Amino acid sequence: MAEEMSIESYLAAGGILSNPANVPPRYRAELMKLMATFVDSELAGAAGFADIINDAPGLKERIAAARIVLEKTDHAERVLKVMGEFGADTARYASHHPWTARLPRDADIAATRSEHDMRLAVFNYPLQGWADAVVMNLLMGRAVVVQLAEFAMVSYQPLAEAFRAIAPREARHAQLAEEGLANLAAEPAERDALQASVDYWWPRVAASFGAADTRKFAALKAMGLRRSTGEELRTRWVGEAKARLEALGLKAG
Amino acid sequence: MARFHDLIVTDLHKTIRDAVVVTLRPANGAAQDFDFIQGQYLTFRRDFDGEELRRSYSICAGKDEGILQVGIKRVDGGAFSTWANEELKVGDRLEAMPPMGSFHTELNPEAEKQYLGFAGGSGITPVLSILKTTLAREPKSNFTLVYANKGVNTIMFREELEDLKNQYMGRLNVIHILETDAQEIDLFTGLVTEEKCAQLFRHWIDIENVDTAFICGPEPMMLGIARALRDHGLDDARIKFELFASAQPGRLKRKAVSQGAASSANQATASITLDGATQSVTVPKDQTILDAALQNAMDAPYACKAGVCSTCRCRVLEGEVEMVANHALEDYEVEKGYVLSCQSFPVTDRVVVDYDQ
Repeated sequence: MAEEMSIESYLAAGGILSNPANVPPRYRAELMKLMATFVDSELAGAAGFADIINDAPGLKERIAAARIVLEKTDHAERVLKVMGEFGADTARYASHHPWTARLPRDADIAATRSEHDMRLAVFNYPLQGWADAVVMNLLMGRAVVVQLAEFAMVSYQPLAEAFRAIAPREARHAQLAEEGLANLAAEPAERDALQASVDYWWPRVAASFGAADTRKFAALKAMGLRRSTGEELRTRWVGEAKARLEALGLKAG
Repeated sequence: MARFHDLIVTDLHKTIRDAVVVTLRPANGAAQDFDFIQGQYLTFRRDFDGEELRRSYSICAGKDEGILQVGIKRVDGGAFSTWANEELKVGDRLEAMPPMGSFHTELNPEAEKQYLGFAGGSGITPVLSILKTTLAREPKSNFTLVYANKGVNTIMFREELEDLKNQYMGRLNVIHILETDAQEIDLFTGLVTEEKCAQLFRHWIDIENVDTAFICGPEPMMLGIARALRDHGLDDARIKFELFASAQPGRLKRKAVSQGAASSANQATASITLDGATQSVTVPKDQTILDAALQNAMDAPYACKAGVCSTCRCRVLEGEVEMVANHALEDYEVEKGYVLSCQSFPVTDRVVVDYDQ
């Protein structure tokens, strides 16, 4: 009982933290970044997708798109609530930024974030109509599934729990996209346009797993905030996404 | 943002020599704000020699007792816990934020579950709240508590647990593990380690049928128990953790008094520490500390850049900065020298900031 242990060695040994009272400063900062990245990506993703609802070809698709917008916004709120326990002003956070803002379609930003929010770079690109949105949603949806499987194991329990609750619904979004894409791919006339969307989004989604940074990864791993490298996650995604595209007669990037 | 409310001490009693159980009543109609969930904690604040200290203590009352009660064990050199044990009296006022924490699972009166709780020392407080509430609200569920202490006379709530065992005959099982006092069964002496858990799971605890486990104790104990539970098939979604580190951040020294007044030059030197490394950089006085760090290839943390999220928090150790917006830090953090680096511009010619504190 009398054993003393630093929080750092507790975390390195797989320890779990449960409240803001005793997280070390650097852990706090990295945890906040992780949460901000998720919240900003969900808010930006939902905002971009909201415009697409009106492009949906039928009622079922309209409902699916509206549901995705609703649920992604709800997921942002859940994680923002955890940020709020660390002092973030949640009301101001959600409204301080134009989440619909996008760059031109051909902007060359690789994986760099914009100056003003932490959304993954891929969410800075605009969607071009329904089919393009469905393709993006399938590719990014599968990426989110892979990333959430990783982040559902973070060492901050309230966040891990939020991600565990969110994961199955995000998986459902990817599945809705897959069903939508199957319908579109059944039309031979659509093929070229769909393949062009796949070619556009594939490298951009692939880049969202981040560049290799061994030192950074080691630090995050010691804090229990990461287990797999970005490269390992990307490989997992490539395998899964490729299989799904090929089943629909499309070629992966 | 959470606000502090006044609570009045209505009862105080020692559960062991070094720990006091404090019963509180919210003042000024704040009762609703203190409608807690079993296993949650309260964060108190109090001024010691002009410096605000905040400490979190778990609620030990069950939901159905109709009272708000926390257990505070005195820790060596702990200003707040010593004060609470030695000077606090009935009628005093304490300031606390509404209950927080997610160390609980949802209860369902129809459920027939097997719960397993591990508590080390004062880690019993939230587990006690959970087990009392669970036994009352899930009449078909059972609870096993493994409770680690130094010796018999340091067991908090020992009599209360005996009473609960009698009240919930056959539904509450308590295994005391004592570090130094010998017991009839050898296995019950020593520390609660991974190996000890594995032995308990062999003959004393039906681990295969456990639905959810709760652990609250010091770090090494939590690690050992968690490993043993995972080894026996419980995934993290079924293990609830609550850690109040033995070393909650201590008293922080105030920042050094700034040297020399601000000069008219529009350049400052900033010494910035991040991940143990310190860089000295030149910062124009119209550039934020964060941007200065980023421009010099330091991987300084930030997210919103609007003073809202507090990701970029750092501490000013020397010199002055001007924080132009702050929607995230509270007054007591600012008093200790914390600033949002995305909103902070150097005022003095030299500033020293640290992201590691």
